Amino acid sequence: MKKKIALFTSVLVIFALLFFCLQALLVPKYMDKSKEGNLIGEYYANAGNNDVVFVGDCEVYENFSPITLWEEYGITSYIRGSAQQLIWQSYYLMEETFRYETPKVMVFNVLSMKYDTPKSTGDQDEREAYNRMTLDGMRWSSSKWNSIQASMTEQEREKEAQFSYLLPLLRFHDRWSQLTADDFTYWFHRLQVSDNGYLMQTGIKPAGDDYWEPPLADYSFGENSWYYLDKMVELCESKGTELVLIKAPALSPIWHDAWDEQIAAYAKEKGLKYINMLEYQEEMGIDWSVDTYDAGKHLNVYGAEKAARWFGDYLQKECGVADRRNDPQLSALWTKKTEAYNDRKALLESKKSEEIS
Amino acid sequence: MKKLIALMMAVAMVLCFAACDNGTAPDTQGTVPAEKSFTFTYQGTEITFGAPAEPILAALGEEKTYTESASCAFEGLDKTYGYGSFYLTTYPMDGKDYIYAWYFVDDMVENEEGIHIGSTQAEVEKAYGKDGFNGTNSYTMKKGNGMLVILLENELVSSIQYTMLTD
Repeated sequence: MKKKIALFTSVLVIFALLFFCLQALLVPKYMDKSKEGNLIGEYYANAGNNDVVFVGDCEVYENFSPITLWEEYGITSYIRGSAQQLIWQSYYLMEETFRYETPKVMVFNVLSMKYDTPKSTGDQDEREAYNRMTLDGMRWSSSKWNSIQASMTEQEREKEAQFSYLLPLLRFHDRWSQLTADDFTYWFHRLQVSDNGYLMQTGIKPAGDDYWEPPLADYSFGENSWYYLDKMVELCESKGTELVLIKAPALSPIWHDAWDEQIAAYAKEKGLKYINMLEYQEEMGIDWSVDTYDAGKHLNVYGAEKAARWFGDYLQKECGVADRRNDPQLSALWTKKTEAYNDRKALLESKKSEEIS
Repeated sequence: MKKLIALMMAVAMVLCFAACDNGTAPDTQGTVPAEKSFTFTYQGTEITFGAPAEPILAALGEEKTYTESASCAFEGLDKTYGYGSFYLTTYPMDGKDYIYAWYFVDDMVENEEGIHIGSTQAEVEKAYGKDGFNGTNSYTMKKGNGMLVILLENELVSSIQYTMLTD
């Protein structure tokens, strides 16, 4: 009997190991393309001791440099951003963050209020791919499970795909025919793609005057968006963390006046700070001819440093976020982070110079 | 024990190769819409959803404005060409661009049903009926792989938007 149990256990362990190895091989690595897919997972190695945590879509992970916040103000921060992160995903990331730390300030970028349901984002296959980038990087927890439930597209619900978020092999089993050298190189480990959640870009592509979007029939934010914003307010209140709403500086997609008014009214009603940074571009010194890498949709590193410089001042003066540079342990840690950031910047700039020449 | 191992292998096979059709690329190229969709003809050039953009753009001539927009994480650019009276938007797939949407912005162009910016609400309802009305300021009609949205301001058409349905 003992022999049988031992054999059974061995088979079980071997099976689990094989499953794990196969899964690790077949899931997308997001190292060469779509690096955004690694952002959420990188948090866990950097969790703790962040006085400011950002949550939101590309407008947070492209537009603020945590290293500048540290260098200029001694503010410790992390950006829990991901591509087209929807408000319920931001909420559950916030909830999960509180399992690891209780920051003084939680910053939420309000652009995603415009999406009330997964369907409202448009192409649902693309939506599923975005969901993966946010959800697959999360560690298993009730927050992840609830975020999956809130995020699935109708097609995913029909296929009962929630389990494929817990065991991604179920989703990516057919990638075996698309495997590249990267899948083997990064089978069991990946390089860090971000600097405390900030995804660096050094390119320059000036913004023009021709950007246009069709008008909408209705500029009211949907019920579901308000529901999750309410939940964010309650969650942060319960943890004693100040929730700050921002609209990051970006020219497109357009942040409509009607949206701005709704958020401003909500913030006033709830006693929250709301900063539409588009109104402070001049103070920040943003020059859209050099500070964006994609014609105004996101800032490049030069713009992100300017935005962080401005916002750091605000965070200290208005929210009382401390200067932690006198803490020797934190100082040593952030010195390393700063070196890595500067190395990355130098590397990307040299690549850019090579491309130009 | 052999049976147990066989069972586990079978479970593994099912887990690994269960048919999960989860492709990420929109299935738009080369598919034939079951129902005829909306089209727009401008100076003899017919524009249809999902059509290769290159010959259409060549026939339309030089655009007055041009903007492009990358997605947050994927390769390729959505491109918008302005021709004064309308905008045309394309989406990328496999290195080529395809027609995704067109939008009327002045009364110099009209659609197949003769509706243009400035048409009355009564004219819209005569052309499409009342079914697509949202009760306040817009009509939404679907046909084949396309969707038409007409916005009203003061009971006059203020915007005409055609976009491709991708699901």
